[in-house]
Amino acid sequence: MLAAPMSMLSRLIPSRPLRMPQIFSPRVSPDDPRIFTFNNERDQIIDEVVARAVEQHSRDPRRLLYLLNDAANLEVRRLSSQRDAEAELSLADWQKLLRRLGKMSDDDRREALRQRVRVMARDIAGNFDVRVFRTTRRLVPGVLTAIMDPSALPHEALRAGWPRLDALATVEGPVAKLQALAKIGTLVLVPTHSSNLDSIALGYLVDREGLPPVVYGAGKNLFSNPIVSFFMHNLGAYRIDRRIGARLYKDVLKTYSCLMIERGYHSLFFPGGTRSRSGMVESRVKLGLAGTAIEAFARNLTRGVRRPVYIVPTTINYALVLEAETLIEDWLKGAGQARYIIEDDEFSRYERVLAFAKKLPALRSAAVVRFADPIDPFGNEVDEAGRSLAPGGRVIDPASYVSRGGVPSVDAARDAGYTRELGEALPGRYARETVIMWTQLVAHVLYRRLVVESPGIDLFGRQRRRGEVMMPRAELIAEVEEARDRLLSLELAGQVRLGPVLRAESAESAVTLALEAWRGYHTRPIATAHGDEVVIEDPNLLLFYQNRLVGFAEALARPETLAASREIAALEGRR
Amino acid sequence: MSETIVGGKVGVLGGGAFGWGLADAAARAGREVLLWSRRPQREATAAITVTQDLAALASAELIFVAVPSPYVAEVAGSLGEHLDGQHFLVHVSRGVVGEQLATLTTVLRRQTPCRRIGALGGPLVAAALSAGAPGGAVIGTRFPEVRAAVRAAIGGPSLRIYSTDDVLGVELGATLAGLLSLALGFGMGMGMGAATLAVMATRGLGEATRIGVSLGARAETFQGLAGIGDLLAAFADDGRPEVAVGKALAGGASRAAVSELAGAYVEGVTVARWIAGYIERTGISAPLLRMIAGALEGQIRGDEVVERLMAREVGDE
Repeated sequence: MLAAPMSMLSRLIPSRPLRMPQIFSPRVSPDDPRIFTFNNERDQIIDEVVARAVEQHSRDPRRLLYLLNDAANLEVRRLSSQRDAEAELSLADWQKLLRRLGKMSDDDRREALRQRVRVMARDIAGNFDVRVFRTTRRLVPGVLTAIMDPSALPHEALRAGWPRLDALATVEGPVAKLQALAKIGTLVLVPTHSSNLDSIALGYLVDREGLPPVVYGAGKNLFSNPIVSFFMHNLGAYRIDRRIGARLYKDVLKTYSCLMIERGYHSLFFPGGTRSRSGMVESRVKLGLAGTAIEAFARNLTRGVRRPVYIVPTTINYALVLEAETLIEDWLKGAGQARYIIEDDEFSRYERVLAFAKKLPALRSAAVVRFADPIDPFGNEVDEAGRSLAPGGRVIDPASYVSRGGVPSVDAARDAGYTRELGEALPGRYARETVIMWTQLVAHVLYRRLVVESPGIDLFGRQRRRGEVMMPRAELIAEVEEARDRLLSLELAGQVRLGPVLRAESAESAVTLALEAWRGYHTRPIATAHGDEVVIEDPNLLLFYQNRLVGFAEALARPETLAASREIAALEGRR
Repeated sequence: MSETIVGGKVGVLGGGAFGWGLADAAARAGREVLLWSRRPQREATAAITVTQDLAALASAELIFVAVPSPYVAEVAGSLGEHLDGQHFLVHVSRGVVGEQLATLTTVLRRQTPCRRIGALGGPLVAAALSAGAPGGAVIGTRFPEVRAAVRAAIGGPSLRIYSTDDVLGVELGATLAGLLSLALGFGMGMGMGAATLAVMATRGLGEATRIGVSLGARAETFQGLAGIGDLLAAFADDGRPEVAVGKALAGGASRAAVSELAGAYVEGVTVARWIAGYIERTGISAPLLRMIAGALEGQIRGDEVVERLMAREVGDE
């Protein structure tokens, strides 16, 4: 019923930030998080981004020429093929720059740089409206439904039982410590990434747990829905246009994110860069923008500002993943054909989101967000008072890492080294803090059987075996039980976590619940019960859910599955 | 900015031949050296102060770690109590630790608060360092300032120090070239000809590269000083302990006698076992390295090694 005006609205304002008029300025108390006053600083931050970019790039005229040339070339190419409103607005401008660049004086080039950077920074910069934030907080989970499907309000949403949302998502980890640290320094959340719902769910849960709001960069494509765009904008999200390949744009983005951390805005980055296509927990991360946390910390020190930065590795674990079908399909296409930006997935299709939303309440526990113990940017543990701890537990000064002879400095090459170190420290923490959901464990046991039954076949051959392999239900239950017990001892050893259902329910009920969970949302059933047998219907989705356990496959192996389990463990290298 | 050279003291952890070699090289470069040794075996000099107090090393920005790999964790743990993020640690070990083949930078990262760390590899021998004989080495580190500090500490007209950010490659190169040096020494002791030794070195380096790459190192690092450069020096019998151990094994010396002789290469036997275990688990083709492990464990006799080596099937290189 709302669909028609909605799409008209989308056409009118493709991805422009929608803001509420500032008639009354909202009341903000000094204890409120930094972001509450973001709008007052917004222009200042943009100015600072411009000033830094100009300062950084005008030192070397040849490099400046290279940067502008690179940006102009790439932008002209992108905008000419894009042919949309944005192209109409700025294509001619870039073309003109490209023509004149060679003849321009250094001063003119600096001016051109200043202008382009300003446009980019404005496009990136987010917004935060306290009124929207407070309203959202009251209306959640209704608002979450609205974000997902405006036409579903209100009767569909109520029938689907959204009020139960609270019980559906659990938060684990040192929340009280994080609350305390948020007052001492700047939190940088670095979660695993498996769904576009991640940032929305995390934003909601962070607030529910009494943690301050975080700013984060969201792909510009997510802003194409005006309602999503409205909320994202007014809740502090900034926009990242992944289509822009220009080096200059990436620099501006880095400067913006660095500046936000420097100024004490709690931030969120997905260090894997993109949603895990395979469903596996990230085993390699490049950190990308999260690396600016180190620069921000160092820059503050050089100005005499001691504001600690706390890195919070976080895992987001779903029993069902909204985009599972698209993601695993993309992964199976292999690295060569996989898409970096997927714009036509389940997240952009209302009916899929609604089907997902309807399915959720039927699950016992749909999502578990687990915060790991925070670390400093150099990988050290941090105590309750926010102090960095050396391996023996001695308090050490994080400033020492960016100093020589007691003098702090900003050094991009050094910080690149620290960023790589941090990137290598994260996967181990992710593995330990992964919360295994019941659907994943049942998927693993079933998939293992599929591998046992199809020895020596390559992955793609195996994935075609739909409806061919079955496992007696009793065996499935017995193996799930055994695997669960192994996971419990791995958990005792601090190597992994178990979700609430696996902890509380019997193996038999975990199997029943998994089969139920897989029915109804996904367009194809993953596995179905036929009498005493469970038939594997969709090896692709089964693979997706079981992939969360590849790192533990060998530890869960039984003697007769050892070869199969090793083959599963080896999947990790394929990503 | 990263390449600024800071003077001041150079620290050396370990008073073995290698520790002293580094201390002598730094003294020759005009630096003041502080050498820690549990049981000092040499007298201090004008430039080299010997200490038994780990805390004293904290006054140096750059500290070389030159204790045998099995002891690094313990000593570094104690040293780490006196250090913070400003210190640079560079190890010169030819070993890895444990079944997972943890390299020494991993151990240093775990045991100390230091992050600006690196590994020094390549054809370095203690005696040549002490004597100032011309040579070269490679420093693997992700931190430009560590690279610069090492060059400033021991580099100079007679010691060329190249660099790479493939830390793992340097460490695994040093470890595996150490084992291969032992194999070469063994071959020499068995009276093998130059051609046989060359086959052994070349195939061995191929095996080492495969293992390195599987663990995340870059193949080209093995083509540099950390791999082939190191092996060529062993081939020329540069007086390294690994070659001596190999020769003794060929001469039929008992394992006890060998470990006595090894001295500076105490890690060899255990490291070989761990590497063999890794080869077994991953199925990487590395028959030569497996055989070295077997010989070191005393499971394969010297004459058998030659027989088996030559009996192997021949295929594409």
